[in-house]
Amino acid sequence: MFDFLSKYYPLFFCGTAQTVIISLIGVAIGILLGLIVVSMRMSDFKVLSWLARCYVSIVRGTPAMIQVMLIYYSLSKLLELPDVSILGSSIARIIPGSIALGINSGAYTAEIFRSGIISVPKGQTEAGLSLGLDELTTMTSIVLPQAVRNVLPALCNEFISLIKESSVLFYIGVQDLTAQALGIGGTLYDFVPPLIVAAIIYFILTFLLSQGVSVLEKKMGKKYSNGIV
Amino acid sequence: MEPLINVIGLKKSYGSNSVLKNIEFKVYPKEKVVLIGPSGGGKSTLLRCLNRLEECEGEIEFEGKNIVSVSSKELQVLRRKMGMVFQQFNLFPNMTVLENITFAPVKLKVSEPKEAERYAHELLRQVGLDDKADAYPQSLSGGQQQRVAIARALAMKPEVMLFDEPTSALDPEMVGDVLDVMRRLAKSGMTMIIVTHEMSFARDVADKVLFMDQGRIADAGDADYIFYKSENKRTREFLSKVM
Repeated sequence: MFDFLSKYYPLFFCGTAQTVIISLIGVAIGILLGLIVVSMRMSDFKVLSWLARCYVSIVRGTPAMIQVMLIYYSLSKLLELPDVSILGSSIARIIPGSIALGINSGAYTAEIFRSGIISVPKGQTEAGLSLGLDELTTMTSIVLPQAVRNVLPALCNEFISLIKESSVLFYIGVQDLTAQALGIGGTLYDFVPPLIVAAIIYFILTFLLSQGVSVLEKKMGKKYSNGIV
Repeated sequence: MEPLINVIGLKKSYGSNSVLKNIEFKVYPKEKVVLIGPSGGGKSTLLRCLNRLEECEGEIEFEGKNIVSVSSKELQVLRRKMGMVFQQFNLFPNMTVLENITFAPVKLKVSEPKEAERYAHELLRQVGLDDKADAYPQSLSGGQQQRVAIARALAMKPEVMLFDEPTSALDPEMVGDVLDVMRRLAKSGMTMIIVTHEMSFARDVADKVLFMDQGRIADAGDADYIFYKSENKRTREFLSKVM
């Protein structure tokens, strides 16, 4: 049933690498955007806070596929991206696609960060300020490290979703794992085996990620509980 | 002698609920001022106003500036000169004991990293916890955490130390160690403003006792006056309940 692998494994390899690349870019943009949006959301400037809320509501309330397509078509009109190919897809598709993934993930990441910041007792901020630290240093050196530790499981969930949802980039012609599996299925006139292979690879990727995060969680947790996690 | 801190007409209210009503007092260098009184009387709020952790109206003169209205840049500089110790310790759980103490002095360039570490160890010896330098706060008892918190505040070499009910969250057997550290600090000549329910400590240490009730300084004087001589009805009533 899986004989085709001996012939098509390079395509699965390319597709997996593609999925990893777009997910990594998406996660990086998502974290950065999440931090920017959460600081806007929690700022005293009403306009900034309102803008952040709008962004979160719009992204959460519309399908990822439509977001990806909207961003792809508008970005390709705005920018002249060179038609260089990486792992079987043009960067003119990869870049807008990953940006779209990041913009989508940023909304969820921002909310996760917000819940983390709220979870850190107010006394931590007061202790920082009372020592004469400014608000930014208090936030970045004292509150955020604790907030991130508190929301690590939720962040891990979000990144797992992102890896799986990166398959929507198939619709704008990115040759990711899903696209490759469908392509192989087309040539074989049998979609089931390649899709099973793709599913297994997605599972391995997300499983590795969650294992990595739980190692990190334990490492960070040690400080808080005297070695007993 | 010039007062170190001069509070004039300090007021604070939440909506129509007035929690501080026209507070006036002076703190002179090396003086120990103890705030006592029933819960909800405004003691902690007053102390937090001195560090502007609460916004209020009026004047708090410190180093020639009014804490109530200085810019946030100036406020940061003034706060470095005021050490604050909280009821809940508020140590940073993501840093070791040593890092808790050295973080602010190094970050704010009050001292070089090496010097900050040396001084942190010296402070830890003073509070009897030098062996815990590399421990994380979560592994310490409440009393130990509070002593580290005192060392952390002292690391900034403040002009005055503010204590907000430093022993109220502690198990009874831990209270003594923390009070001992504070007694030694008082003897060393530090200016201190202390909110506390530990009456015998207040009586021993205070140069001036302010009895706060319903947002006012209802009675004030030296320890001898407040604890033995005052004929103020509220003071007598309060002391008879807590002593």
